[in-house]
Amino acid sequence: MTPTVSDAVLLVVKVLFLIGIFLYSVFAAVLVRQEQLMAHVLEESFEPMLRLLVVGHLVISVGVFIMAIFLL
Amino acid sequence: MVRSTIRVMPTIFVSPEKKPHGHAFVPKDQPPTRMRPLTAFAVNPLGLRFETQEEEEVVVLFLRQHFIVNLPWIAITILLLIAPTVIFPKLFSALSIHFPFPPGYYFIGTIFWYVATFGFALASFIGWFFNIYIVTNERVVDIDFFYLLYKKFSEAELLKIQDISYTSGGILAAIFNFGNVTVQTAGESPNLEFDSVPFPEKVVETIRSLTELTEGEPV
Repeated sequence: MTPTVSDAVLLVVKVLFLIGIFLYSVFAAVLVRQEQLMAHVLEESFEPMLRLLVVGHLVISVGVFIMAIFLL
Repeated sequence: MVRSTIRVMPTIFVSPEKKPHGHAFVPKDQPPTRMRPLTAFAVNPLGLRFETQEEEEVVVLFLRQHFIVNLPWIAITILLLIAPTVIFPKLFSALSIHFPFPPGYYFIGTIFWYVATFGFALASFIGWFFNIYIVTNERVVDIDFFYLLYKKFSEAELLKIQDISYTSGGILAAIFNFGNVTVQTAGESPNLEFDSVPFPEKVVETIRSLTELTEGEPV
């Protein structure tokens, strides 16, 4: 028989998940800001692609956080 | 009636012609380089500007650490990518561990794992990408970013450079030809260290040539 997890444990895990993903989203936002500052230091042709990647990363991180609120 | 005579003075000194300021010194065997995303060594790079660059200042040499220094984080990223599908199932079945959580937790956990892996790779790449060394016709510049939050901008004028040397050691450095270049400066200017740059001997040669060129120019 498969053991089940109590509601209290699930709640703790859910809160930990949400805190972890929220902190990660903050890190993703810091990454965007830092990329902007770094791009100011060095102007190069590849920079728009890098900007797209860091902004996409932030959008996905926030998306995962919102999804976690509804799915967990 | 007064007669005036004009005497022409003999020329005893002719000032040497000033070289046009801002011309780029290009080593003879290296054509100008077009910048690409993974460029780590570029002579007279096209389409590149950096903070504090003056109007007449020309970038002669652009350097990053050799791409091979990225190998550790690339290997870690690959391990992180295959972990949820290959490593974790085998590990958990070997240890007889079972997590009886609802499917939503596995779904969110897996997505978050891959997003975090992508973020790790992105942050590592950005750290390498923006850690740059620049040699211009006026100075040597070292721009470092530490952990994405700290920035260090160091520069030394070519006239203040006293000694340039490089060290290259280790198997990887020998195979891929990279090393550390040390630029020692006069006075209180900080010494600059270019870590793991490709073709260190060419870097030293170029800086030395530029220094000699600058010393030869009239002030």
